[in-house]
Formats: sequence, C-alpha cells, structure tokens
Amino acid sequence: MSAGTGYTEYDFGCLFFKTSYGMNTPQWDELAELALMRLRGAGVEYGDVRVMDSATQTIRGEDRRIAKIREGSDRGIGIRVLYRGAWGFAASSILSLEEIPRIADQAVEIAKGSASLAIEKVHLAHEPVHRDSIVTAHRVDPFTVPLEGKTDLLLEIMDYVHRQPGIVRSVASLWAQRDRKLFVSTEGSHIDYDLLAVQGDFSATGLHDGRFAARSFTTPHLRTGYELITGTNFLAEAPRVAAQAMEKVRAPVIEPGRYDLVLDPEHLSLTMHESCGHPSELDRALGYEANYAGTSFLTPDQRGSFRYGSGHVNLVADNTEPETLAATGYDDDGVACQKWDIVRDGVFVGYCTNREVAPKINEGRSRGSNRADSWSSVPIVRIANIGLEPGDVTLEELLSDVKCGLYIEGHGSYSIDQRRYNFQFGGDAFWLIENGRRTHMVRDVIYHGITPEFWNSCDGVADRSHRRRYGFITCGKGQPGQSGWMTHAASHARFRRVDVIQGQVPT
Amino acid sequence: MTTPPSKIWPKMTGWEEFHFLTDLVLEHSSGDHTSLTLYDQHGGTTRFANNQIVQNVDTRRGSLALTVAFGRRHGTATTTDFTAGAVQETLKRAERIARVSPEDPEYLPPVGPKQYLSLPTNRPETAAAGPTRRLEYAREAVSQCKMENLNSAGTVSSSVTAAGVAANTGLLAYEERTEARFSLTVQADDATGWAAAAHRSIDHLKIQERTLTAIEKAKRGADEPKELEAGRYTVILEPAAVAGLLSGMLWMLDAKSFDKGTSPFVGKLGQRIIDRRLTLRNQPDHADLLGFGFTSDGLPVTESAWIEGGVLKQLMYDRFTARQHGIEPIATLESPCLSGERPAGARVSDLIRTTQRGILVTNFWYIRAVNPTDLTMTGMTRDGTFLVENGEIVTAVRNFRFHESPLRAFNQIDAFTTPAEAVTSETGKLLVPAMRVHNFNFSSVTRF
Repeated sequence: MSAGTGYTEYDFGCLFFKTSYGMNTPQWDELAELALMRLRGAGVEYGDVRVMDSATQTIRGEDRRIAKIREGSDRGIGIRVLYRGAWGFAASSILSLEEIPRIADQAVEIAKGSASLAIEKVHLAHEPVHRDSIVTAHRVDPFTVPLEGKTDLLLEIMDYVHRQPGIVRSVASLWAQRDRKLFVSTEGSHIDYDLLAVQGDFSATGLHDGRFAARSFTTPHLRTGYELITGTNFLAEAPRVAAQAMEKVRAPVIEPGRYDLVLDPEHLSLTMHESCGHPSELDRALGYEANYAGTSFLTPDQRGSFRYGSGHVNLVADNTEPETLAATGYDDDGVACQKWDIVRDGVFVGYCTNREVAPKINEGRSRGSNRADSWSSVPIVRIANIGLEPGDVTLEELLSDVKCGLYIEGHGSYSIDQRRYNFQFGGDAFWLIENGRRTHMVRDVIYHGITPEFWNSCDGVADRSHRRRYGFITCGKGQPGQSGWMTHAASHARFRRVDVIQGQVPT
Repeated sequence: MTTPPSKIWPKMTGWEEFHFLTDLVLEHSSGDHTSLTLYDQHGGTTRFANNQIVQNVDTRRGSLALTVAFGRRHGTATTTDFTAGAVQETLKRAERIARVSPEDPEYLPPVGPKQYLSLPTNRPETAAAGPTRRLEYAREAVSQCKMENLNSAGTVSSSVTAAGVAANTGLLAYEERTEARFSLTVQADDATGWAAAAHRSIDHLKIQERTLTAIEKAKRGADEPKELEAGRYTVILEPAAVAGLLSGMLWMLDAKSFDKGTSPFVGKLGQRIIDRRLTLRNQPDHADLLGFGFTSDGLPVTESAWIEGGVLKQLMYDRFTARQHGIEPIATLESPCLSGERPAGARVSDLIRTTQRGILVTNFWYIRAVNPTDLTMTGMTRDGTFLVENGEIVTAVRNFRFHESPLRAFNQIDAFTTPAEAVTSETGKLLVPAMRVHNFNFSSVTRF
C-alpha cells in the first residue's frame, strides 16, 4: 500500500516543513521493515508495528438542516515492544524514514523504564505466524457514493419526522469508516487490512405539557458497504418513529413495582455489553483497569462453576461472524479471530483475552480479543462480539405468558458499578404488557438489579428468526481512553419480576 | 531516557509554522471563507496496576482541520499528515464537500481578529517532562503503596499541545498548552481508595500527598463494609463527587435546547436554581484551573458569571443562537469555579466533624442522565464510602446507587467548604466545595 499522495508540494518556505515533511512519503512496507530492523537490533523479545490510515465520513443533520459534513484522515504508525518482559509503545503521525527509527528507539527506551518497575515478566501466549490480507466484503464503497444523495436522504428523513405535530427537534446522520492497516511483527506475521464500517440513524424529539422525549431509529454498525443504507427504508420508519416519540411523551408514567420484562434485541445489546461483556474481559478481572473502567465480579476462580444466569442463558463470543465489528480476521496481537463460550447453560466458562493475559489463567492461546482504536493507541483486551444464543419460542409466546410486564425497545439511560454487579437501565420505548398483550406506551421506566440475579431470572429466549445484531463503536476503556468496536446479537428475551422505578426524582 | 524531548522528537508546530501554513492554505483556497484548526500534541501516559507498569506510551499526533465555505455551503476535511501534498489534498476535499453540501441556514463566517487573554498555559517543566519523569512519579506512588502492603493502579501523564485557529477573516490565534495528570486507586483487600490531580504544571501534581490520601481511604475501608438500606441520607460529598453532579448539570445548559423547549432549564433563566449562597464563575486565569485563551471557533474565553446567588444567569450559546439573541461576547465555561458565602471551613473534615449521621462520598462513577426534563441522574459511589456518626467516620459502607437531580440536591445543602481542586475520570477540572446535603436519594446498594 502506498501512503504517497502524488500531489505537487507547496513551497512552505520554512525549515520545519522542508526538513521534516518535505519528502516523498515512503511505502508502508518499507517503513514497517525499517522499524522491525531497529527493534531486532535492539534485542527486543517481541515487537509489532501497525501502520494505519483511517478515513471517516460523518454527515449530521439537525432540525432540517445539514449541520456538518466532515471527512477525516487519521494516519500514523504505532510501535510496541516487549523488552526484558516489559512493554513500551511509541507512535507518531509523521511517516518518514527519519521518524521511524526515532520512535522505535523510543519504544525500546520506554520498555526499559517499564522493566525497572516490573514484578512479573510478561510472557506472550504462542500464536502461529500469519501472512494474510483482510478485505471487508461489500457491494458499494460508501466513499464513492455522491454526497448529494446522502444529504438529500437525511433532509428527507428530517422532513418526514417534522410532519408529525408536536415534534420540535430532529437529528439524522450517516457514518462510514475505512481502516487501511498493516500489521507486522518480529515473529514474522504480516497482515494487511482494508476494513469498512457503515451506519445510519435518526431521532425525533417531541414536546408535550412541558415535557420532552426522544425516540430513535438506527441501523446496526456493520462491516459492509453502503448497501446497508440503501437497503434500509428510513422514510418508512420516520413517520412511525415520530409518532411514537409523541406517544412516548404523552404516555402515563410507570407505576413502580416488580414487572416481567420482555427486552428487544437492540435493548439487550446494551444490557449484554455492560453486564456480561465487560465483566468477561480478563484484564479487568486481573486488575489492569482498577483505576478506571474497574474490575470484575467474574474472578478467575469462578470460571467453570459460577452460575451467571439461568439455563436459558448461553452467551457466545464470535469474532468470526461476517459483517460484525470485531470480525477483523486477526486482532492487534496478530491472533486469528475465534468463536468461544462465555456462558454455557447459565454457567460462566470463558473470558475475552489477549496474548499477555491468557497464560495467567493457564490458557495456551489467546482468544484474539486485543484491539487498539487507532495507530496511536496500544491494544488492550476488548469485549468480543458477544451474543445471546437463540431459544426456541416466538416473541408472541414470550409475551403471552406475561400478566403484568413491560416490553422495552432500544437504548436509554445506562449505568453500572465498577465490578459490574449493580446496574440500572432505561430504554428508548416502553409498552405495558397486560395479560399477554402489549397494550399502551408508558414513560420514565428504569429497571435495576444485580447482574447474576437478573440473568438468573431469564426464563425464555426467542428463536433465531428474531435474532438481530447491533454494534458499538464508543465503548470506553483504557487510559488514555480508547473506543472499542464490537457487535452484540440477540433474540428477544424474557426476565421475571425485575424491580422497576420511575425515571424521575421521587418527592 | 535522559535526552531532552526536543532532541527526541521533531519540534511541535510553532507559531511561525502555523502562520506559514495559514497563509499558504488561504492563498490556495477557492472558498469564500476558509478556516484552519491546528491541534498538534506530544504526550504520554505511564499506567500501572498490581504495583507494576502495564502500559507505557508516548505519542506524537498532529492534526489539521480545514473548513471551506461557498456562501452558506460548507465542508470540513481533516488530516494528520502535514506534508504539503496531503494538506493540499485536504483543502481540495473540504472544497469538494462544500460545493455539494446544501445551504446551511445557520452557517456563519469565521470570526474576525480578536484579542485574547495571555495565559500561562505552557509550563516548561511539563513540556520537558517525558517518560522518565512519568516513570519517576509512578514509582513514587507504587513504592508508597508497596510499603503499606497495598495494591496500586493508576496513571501519570503529561502532554504539550500546539493549538491554533485561523481564517481568511483575519482570525489568527495560537497557543501552547501543557497538561499533567495523576490518578491513583489503592486496593486494600476488597476496599479501594482514590485520588487524582490535573494541572498545567507537572510540579503541582502532589504525588506523595495524594497517594497518602488514597492509601488512607483504602485502609479505612479494609474492614468488612457495612450494608445500609437504600434510602434518603444526609451525605457529605467530597469535591470530586460534587464535580460529577455539577458537570452533569452544566452539560445541559445549551441555549438552543432552551429555545426549543427541550432543556431542563426552560423557565429557569434568571431564577434561583440552587442554594442562594452559591456562585458559579468562569475563571480562565485561575492558576489551578486548565484555562486557555481561545475556543476552537476562535472565540476569546472570558471571565463570566453563570450562577450568582443561586440564580441562573447564563446559557451556553453556539454562535448562531447567540446572534439570534444579540449576545456578544459569548460566555465560555472551560474554567468553572463554584464558591459560596460563609463556608464552614476549608477541609472535608470540617464537615465531618459537625455531622451527626451521614454518608461520606469520595467520588461518583458512571454518572448518566436518567430524565432530561427534571435532570434526574444516576451513578454509583466509588473508592471510599463511609458512615459518619457523631462527627467521626465509623465504618466503610457498601456502595450506593444514587437517583437524584442536582437541581434538587444543590437546594438541600446544609454546609460547604471553600472550593478545592476536583478532577475525575468523567469530568474536566473544576474548583468546587465539599458539601453536606440533606435527603440525598440512594435508590439501591451493590455488593461491595
């Protein structure tokens, strides 16, 4: 891959640009090999180099206008080394033959410093050498689609939304990202990537009697082409979403108490993410995130025996499913993506791991869940594409057995403690279920509980025909903070007698 | 490791380079209006856990955003590649976007030349700090914890950033900003204690003092925490906890939402919203805040009053909404200081000593809005939650979830201290008092 631009250079007329930047940008392979040579010469135990160029296009509409069109190009190189059993990492957005040796040396020097404060040396789990090329399958490259068509779509969506009386605000957006990446390691792996991801969404905010409430619609974030957008009938969804925003803001407030909950796949994607995904990150369980994201109630001694949920609960990590965000072929350790169990028949059995932490629980191979959000970030353990395995009933059958319950769609407020026990979730829309039927909307619904108690109250999951996938691209973790990407799939699921409170200050 | 950073790294984009870059971009742009935003940062973080380094990074990232407008059509393109060809390509992308974008009725040309406060945003001791200094501080914190047989996790970071904004309206602003941060979680069995700091000067992180604070918190909680029922309690909120609640409130001061009726402050501008003794001001020149001279729009930051005597005086205006209201200059809130009349003292201990029964909260975590209409928020207590009885801390208690509105809580204040530095993983840096608040609503309890 070439990082050269081929354009005529300006004469910037200053020392800075002539000496540091006024040269033809070399090929990525050349830069990566230069870095590896430097690392080998320094005697590192392990080193890897990621050269990356992320192109992002964001189009955002607000209240019937296009407020922002922004195209970003984020390019640079990150060098990670293991020296005397300790890590060092240096990165730069300057891709030049002068800069690479400098940051390679810097990474080694930093690792030496880390080693001076080491108690236990890092040993990496074995991984075969991989030489591969990964390309996201797609029909339409989102970056070749004319902008006019995209802005027209967003304006039309917002126009439809505002036709609903009472709607006072709207937002509509389209997003696409292409990551071109080269990963090489001192072990001999050489993997290049050309990855795409696409998503679109909109929301409507209604005002009634001094209150306001929003209802939203989103496609999943998927690794595919613009066909995700053209295959979604936004204009058919817009009137429904706008009408439901008004129905939501006018709805009666929920009466606090215990309710049976039937949760839709989009809502469950967040519930799973927070209450299963994060506690299954082994670095958290081992204390690496104690100062920020927190630790985990799923400690290694409980693996294989802890009853996380009822027998209906099977949570599977699958970083091999096409189109999902974490299915990138290999992670940023150069480990091949895999599929494994996190919870099987309700019992906690597996973690998300990387090459560093897997040996600490006597696993011979990493699960391949180590990812960085850019060239400038060091890879850390990330939640995999964890999904709830389908059951064998229909949604109607789940609802039919509920006398007094709530049907919840979409994402709302969410919060969970740093060990992932005590959670509290809202939602995007709530319907009362009375004697097996969804009757009418209610508002200000908040449910809370303790994670294992909640998942043990699950007594039914809908079948595969109800399965949907939703992706996350803003999962915060790490210091400095990074955004993780993963997809969570589920069918509808039912939970018994969950504590529900009002989403307003009790008086 | 002992080589000065200037010899390790290519130098940052300086004033002269930014000036050249601006002239040449503007010269080659075909737009009616063209603006540039520079953000060139060199910094790093040393991160430790289980009393050893788990991550140690140093990064140089320069980014340049170019916005071009033809009439009311505008587009933005960004790059991290400062080679001449890449900058030219980025300019062409911004022009291409602008040509095909629909007219934006809210578009305003970039601001013209402005006068800015000259603030000491660049502290040489921080700019010169590199991995060695960060490691030294990490070692200091870890060593203190190891001496106490405690487990530590935390970060030491430092950075220098060249920030610039310019446009063909004559706007040209440039500033170098340094920042250093320290945060530490100390674990004593199941209990944790925490402390954090942020400052323009790395010399002001007070590593030893803050490490001792976190150690003391952890040790106090090391005995089995008592489980109390959820419910309403008198709470003593340390400055970090106040900062979390206050920040959640300040995010919602958007003037456009206010105009559209989708703000919790509708009907409250000019009204008393919190305790009448409290005043919130923006203080960009305060030495302990992270003030800077200008915003990314090129607007000058100014000292301003946001809440006076408990009365809401100000909203956050974007330029278009400000123009609709004829507001000039636009007040900014990057350096908030909440202070009050007749403080009960300068330390949290001054509040503890006079508390008959209450819960001492070190920090809140995972704060999220629950209901934007009445500003109900939720979050967990974290890293040191204690029962206070008869003026003394008597035991650690299990962490609570709160379900409360700052608009309500800040009207139930009984006593408060003078403002102190506060920074958390979820807030910027503020100066806020510790507070004793009555009838604070805890809706549930967790298992530790």
